[in-house]
Amino acid sequence: MAAQLPSAAMIPGAPPLLPPLVSSRRLRAQSLSRTLRLWVPAGLLILLAGMCFLLPIIITIPPPTGGSILDANAPLFSPGHILGADPVGNDVFSRICYGGRIAFEVSLAVTAIGMASGCLIGITAGYFGGWVDTILSRVLDVLIAFPALVLTIAIAEGLQPSEFHTILALLVFSVPAFGRISRAATLAVRELPFILAARLSGTGGWRVMVRHVVPNIVPSIATFSLLGIGIVIIIEGALDFLGYGIQPPAPSWGNMIAQGQTVMDVQPQYVLVPSLFLLAMVVAVNALGDALRERWGVR
Amino acid sequence: MALADAAQHHREPGAGADLARRVLGSPALRLAGRRLLTAIPVLWGVTFLTYAIMSSLPGDTAQIILGINATQGDIDKLNHKLGLDQPFWERYWHWFSNLLHGNLGTSVINNASVNSDLGQRLPTTAVLVGYSLLVTLILSVAVAVLAARRPNGIFDRLSLGVSTLGLSISPFVLALLLQYIFGSQLRWLPVISGSIGNNPGTWFKTLTLPAMALGFGLFSVYTRLLRADIVEQMQREDYIVTAKAKGVAPHRVLLRHATRNSLFGLITLVGLNLGTLIGAVAIIEPLFSVPGIGAALIDAINVHDVPLVEGIVVVFALVTVLGNLLADLSYAVLDPRIRYGRSTS
Repeated sequence: MAAQLPSAAMIPGAPPLLPPLVSSRRLRAQSLSRTLRLWVPAGLLILLAGMCFLLPIIITIPPPTGGSILDANAPLFSPGHILGADPVGNDVFSRICYGGRIAFEVSLAVTAIGMASGCLIGITAGYFGGWVDTILSRVLDVLIAFPALVLTIAIAEGLQPSEFHTILALLVFSVPAFGRISRAATLAVRELPFILAARLSGTGGWRVMVRHVVPNIVPSIATFSLLGIGIVIIIEGALDFLGYGIQPPAPSWGNMIAQGQTVMDVQPQYVLVPSLFLLAMVVAVNALGDALRERWGVR
Repeated sequence: MALADAAQHHREPGAGADLARRVLGSPALRLAGRRLLTAIPVLWGVTFLTYAIMSSLPGDTAQIILGINATQGDIDKLNHKLGLDQPFWERYWHWFSNLLHGNLGTSVINNASVNSDLGQRLPTTAVLVGYSLLVTLILSVAVAVLAARRPNGIFDRLSLGVSTLGLSISPFVLALLLQYIFGSQLRWLPVISGSIGNNPGTWFKTLTLPAMALGFGLFSVYTRLLRADIVEQMQREDYIVTAKAKGVAPHRVLLRHATRNSLFGLITLVGLNLGTLIGAVAIIEPLFSVPGIGAALIDAINVHDVPLVEGIVVVFALVTVLGNLLADLSYAVLDPRIRYGRSTS
């Protein structure tokens, strides 16, 4: 989005430009910054994932629950508790790691399932058109006009709160979103000549969809799915924060923030530490999405 | 093309008298009408879905009202009194026919009329959303124009960083941070709104923090979209070249030519986003104790108060549909290409 390639050349009918006065050093700096824009957020995500999933296996860290009351309210950077301990003596860093697992698992599961089923609906609607499109689009319209938060809270509240039910509830957000995006992308691809060529050479409808339409909408779906992961992490945090998701004492970033909220005036670190991790993860996901969008030229 | 079209129609005789006829017969208005018609099944679907889901939730409303120690006889009696022992379709039809008469029913919890409850809460939410949207729009147009003035300049990069932050921060985290910084540390503004008062002076005091928490994410989306659109207009469009060639001052090209045309995309997005914004109040309002419909929603879901939840959902869905409609209509009024009855591709 930010990189401006020589742009005046795009004006139709403009006279050919003189060779741009760009030094090779500047070009190298540009390509370096492009690489960094992709790999800094990707590296941050890998680091976070490693911290949440691998670190507790490699080294021994205190358990996330059932800490000793003697350690209660240990300040930041105290020995044995690098991020301190919460008011009941649980190690905050350990809770961050195990809570981060929830964020990763829920966001990836919701996005993967939402992408699979949403794209199936959207591509079918966009490719076949006609009454199939009319019915599927109406259903998607209802789900989009619906205040999804209501549905999500209702599902999460009605079923017993658990990680699986959180995933189920969040699918309400992601399926119609993917459906709409993939339908629009399919409509754009459908009219292109190679689809006609494939049809004329006798390829069946489903085969055209899978072999010709799907590969061409992958860039827009992939960049959107990164955006979707960020949104899912935020909403999952909100569900936990409101008390409809992962229930304490099991840790999640959202319920850690909710627990810290009560003592925020005197000990803001219980809110700030999980908030910072939540923010870092979503920033990384969004920045990665931006970098990929720029690379693949998706708007 | 736009220039040519506008010039061609500029001196048409009787333009003022024809304006109404043209606006009324314009493609945008017909589009808006068609949208309104397709909105009716969508609205119905939303209310039905809500009713079905709220009714199928496990957990007994009468049990919740009477508490855990109630006897089965009491529960049955209350269920009968509230009409909850009737079959689903009968209840839904009863509710739906009331809705068609403009009656949203009575809350099963405190027996208050949902109409009057929403009537008290709706103005509060409307002021909050309006305040937030107004400030957000003014700021994002200003920032986007300044950022687009020099793409990849310092201000552009700065605004990109800020908007990435805004897209990534959870509204509830932002709300807590604002409460901590401005409420309990600096003590500039109260953390809890309570009653919002009824004049702009007290609104500023009580609603600024919730409005900021509500608007920051939108500000980021709007700024990014508008900035990208202005930059694209400045680089691609013929009329920009024309304007520059005839010697219009650079800031005038940016403001009067590019920005004015880019605002259309923003208007559509505002219309589409109105629904999302209304949804976010459900999280923000309880945190600041703003007595609006968002705060009522969470409580209502918790106690399975189906009529109240339905009433709020109807308001949300109506606002979403009206937002889309307003975006369509604003095209008809603002865009001369459409106002003069020319459909452009």
